[in-house]
Amino acid sequence: MKVSELTQKTTLKAFNEGTDKEIKGIYISDMVSDIIGIKEGHLLITLQTHKNLIAAANLVDVAAIVFSRNKIPADDVVALANKAGIRLLGFDGDTWSLAKKICEIGIW
Amino acid sequence: MKKSACHHRWTMTNLHGGYLVIEGCFHCRHRISFFSQEPVPPIDDYQEGSHFWSHLADYQASQFDLKCEKCSTEVPLKEIMALMLCVRCNPECGVYAAGSQEPDRQTWVYVALCSDTSHTTEKCIPSESLNALNEYLNNGIEDPAKRIAVVPCSLRKFVDTCQGIVLADVGLTELY
Repeated sequence: MKVSELTQKTTLKAFNEGTDKEIKGIYISDMVSDIIGIKEGHLLITLQTHKNLIAAANLVDVAAIVFSRNKIPADDVVALANKAGIRLLGFDGDTWSLAKKICEIGIW
Repeated sequence: MKKSACHHRWTMTNLHGGYLVIEGCFHCRHRISFFSQEPVPPIDDYQEGSHFWSHLADYQASQFDLKCEKCSTEVPLKEIMALMLCVRCNPECGVYAAGSQEPDRQTWVYVALCSDTSHTTEKCIPSESLNALNEYLNNGIEDPAKRIAVVPCSLRKFVDTCQGIVLADVGLTELY
């Protein structure tokens, strides 16, 4: 499933355009040091809006990043994500609610 | 398969969390780093020869090794304390130059940080480690215009003014 299909089927808001990549898996983490271990093409769901997160997400070539709990990334974070072609999305609810929603609509 | 003939397909192995600890000597102003797997990172001052090392910072970070899925060759990456994304802050820096070699591709340069932060010795990250890491990180990138280049920190011109983004959980465990 492409990131654009996910945004259509959920109530995710977009912070930038980014590349419409294929989602190969889903990973939930708030630790930059943890993200380094994931495989490419994962949708990353996190609370973390630090610029370090983008640096790590670019290294492992994530499909997109979803900030849960209405977290809003700063302008310099969005700018780095734009440069990396990483799509940044937002979800108003908590991480568990988003995970359930993704399962309920049959994406995973 | 004969190891020397293998076109390696690297996978991450021995992934473990810990702390990137940075210490400084108030006597010579040099800095060193190490990776600690202690439950709580060490913060004690100590003397080592003419150096008086004091704790400067620690960040949660991770380390891993690489293993070839085909021939089982393992490349330990224990010399790498952390990776750092270059933000191209200084055109005179060797890391900046490393990101300018392929103008038709977007090269993201990550600096492999060794333990000798001030580079008082000639030693840095072994080329075997860097080659394997570059192969691993570039394998599977969808965008043909994107390339990851991991370079040794010995290329960095100035430690103090470098604005690179270290891939560690900065701020979570700082003491001051």
